[in-house]
Amino acid sequence: MSESSDIFAGSTLQTADLKPFQILAPDGRPVREELIPDLEIVEELYRRMARARYLDDKFMVLYKSQRLGNYAQFGGQEASQVASAFVLKAKDYVCPMYRNTAAMITHGWPIEKAILYWRGHPDGWRIPDDLNIMPIIISIPGQIVHAAGVALGIQAQNLGAVALSYIGEGGTSQGDFHAGVNFAAARKAPAVFIIENNGWAISVPRKVQSGVDYLMRRAEGYGIPGYLVDGNDALAVYTTAKKAVEDARVGNGPSIIEQLTYRVRPHTTGDDPKAYRTEDETNEWIANRDPIKRLKLFLEYEKRWNDDREVAMQAEIETEFTAALEAADHAPAPDPMALLDYTMIEPTWQLEEQRATLQARVAAEGGAA
Amino acid sequence: MTQVIDKPVGQQETRPMTMAAALTDAMDVALTRDPKVIMYGEDVGRLGGVYRITTGLQAKHGEARVFDSPLSEAAIMGTAIGAAAVGMRPVVEFQFGGFMMPAFDHIFSHVSRYRYRSRGRWKTPLVVRFPVGGGLGLLEQHADSPEAYLMHTPGIKIIYPSNPYDAKGLLLAAIESDDPVFCFETIKLYRDPKLRQDVPTGYYTVPLGKARIAREGTDVTIIAYGGMVQPAEAAAEAAAQANVSCEVIDLRSIVPLDIDTIINSVQKTGRAIVVHEAVRTGGVGAEIAALIQEKAFYSLEAPIERVTSFDTMPSPFNALNHFSRPEAHHIAEAIKKVLSA
Repeated sequence: MSESSDIFAGSTLQTADLKPFQILAPDGRPVREELIPDLEIVEELYRRMARARYLDDKFMVLYKSQRLGNYAQFGGQEASQVASAFVLKAKDYVCPMYRNTAAMITHGWPIEKAILYWRGHPDGWRIPDDLNIMPIIISIPGQIVHAAGVALGIQAQNLGAVALSYIGEGGTSQGDFHAGVNFAAARKAPAVFIIENNGWAISVPRKVQSGVDYLMRRAEGYGIPGYLVDGNDALAVYTTAKKAVEDARVGNGPSIIEQLTYRVRPHTTGDDPKAYRTEDETNEWIANRDPIKRLKLFLEYEKRWNDDREVAMQAEIETEFTAALEAADHAPAPDPMALLDYTMIEPTWQLEEQRATLQARVAAEGGAA
Repeated sequence: MTQVIDKPVGQQETRPMTMAAALTDAMDVALTRDPKVIMYGEDVGRLGGVYRITTGLQAKHGEARVFDSPLSEAAIMGTAIGAAAVGMRPVVEFQFGGFMMPAFDHIFSHVSRYRYRSRGRWKTPLVVRFPVGGGLGLLEQHADSPEAYLMHTPGIKIIYPSNPYDAKGLLLAAIESDDPVFCFETIKLYRDPKLRQDVPTGYYTVPLGKARIAREGTDVTIIAYGGMVQPAEAAAEAAAQANVSCEVIDLRSIVPLDIDTIINSVQKTGRAIVVHEAVRTGGVGAEIAALIQEKAFYSLEAPIERVTSFDTMPSPFNALNHFSRPEAHHIAEAIKKVLSA
């Protein structure tokens, strides 16, 4: 028996009683006073989270009036996305999936582009040249493996940057989640993998995905740090992401961060959660664990926030969004050639032939109109 | 399969069904008839799948037989192979055809070869269902038509229904088939009210590998399947106004392919058009064109035309899709072309 005990010495899997890391309790009171970041940073996090929430709310309104296509809401996950992407430098890379609009605008994606993207307009699909944001991945978990590759490229060229990628708890059941994280870990590549555990993969609850209690425990199997964080505590998310990103940057390799949050909104605009979960469950999160409310309460306790500042901030957010919407509304109609553009750098003759067909079809439609 | 004495189709009760309802009904019948049938995939249990095709089946047949799987197409496909090999008849669902690719190793390398590899010891009687096709303004990977990848993989069957009656009968035949079958379900047809028709409520099958002549004609043969049958029929109807008689063949199955129906028609008309929503190069249309020239070359009066999407990803640019995804007027142009040759 002593022999087998030695074999398993050091293993903590399923034995440690894990508690999610928290700096602020849901009522906004600090539980780890000594870890509160500079209050300027806290204010900025609050502003950016409020800005993201405003966008998510407005996108739903735009969808309902058919001014936006099918859209994947992130509302309720602002701390999880904004406070993590906030720690990045401009040279760092975000490898997003479809629910990461909040992380992307935090890393600099213009709101106008976000509107155009979710309208299915090619101008929204073009990532601006000065932004290190990779394409939005719909077929999960491609982005995780690409992030491992981006990190490999960063490492090989000594770019001093970090690749940050996100995935939901459901996506971690895909084999390529393992493949990507393991590759980055084996190469000590500068990547950070955030699992936004929002409880639901469309209608499928977290417990269906895996028998393990916390998904971050898989980090041990890759020999990398795994962190369990209250994903609705912006300060805990910020502090953990900052450590993981800087560790990756200095060559200590990747980490997995599991952020416990909740998808208070539908999977996408096409989904109705009433078919599979109780409204009570959702309302409990909205009422008692909202990430924005938590940060605001803290700022109010600290006398850093008041109604006047709130009103002024909301006005700024509204002005910015309105201008972006107007710019998006004035974007030129998509050029039909966008259908074929960017398929190949050196198009085949078949593509050239099809371009001629497309031109003829566009001309015919113009003639008929 | 459990032995059941069935009433002939003509005497069965019928009920008006959409294609979605007919598919649900087929699975209900299969679960009731055969205890070996199990069903799983992402969201198929409580929610009934993203398109609600498995609605009510978990409630009726229990969680042990109809259940939500972890989110992994590779696991869904690979486990279906193992379970089928030891005696089950899994009917599994991918959320979209575009999400099939994580499972592709199990398709290309395994399900297609399992029986061959074991020299007949292990068969894999399973069905994989998934929604395909576009024209609905959905996101990327929600509008793909990946049938050519499967047609190019020996050892598997492909069904591609275009209406409720065929959908139910083909799916029941697929579940009974001892070969693995992939069922392509065109999203746009699921709840198309124009397609609603009286469908027998009980058990019946539509044989795999038998095409349906959707419209008889003498001048041009139009070969289509799934969501392209309707535009083909519309183009044929428009051509009829100009006294051009088009025969429309609805393939119903891609593998096995009903070559006799295709060749008989082309020998009569001398002109052939193949229509599919999938991209052009290396597509099903290329295979069918090759077969026609092999078997009916001397009947041809004109080069065979293909009407397909362009060789690029199904467009997420919703305002532009109609320039690429085949429509009736694109088929009409092809009709003019084969007639003027």
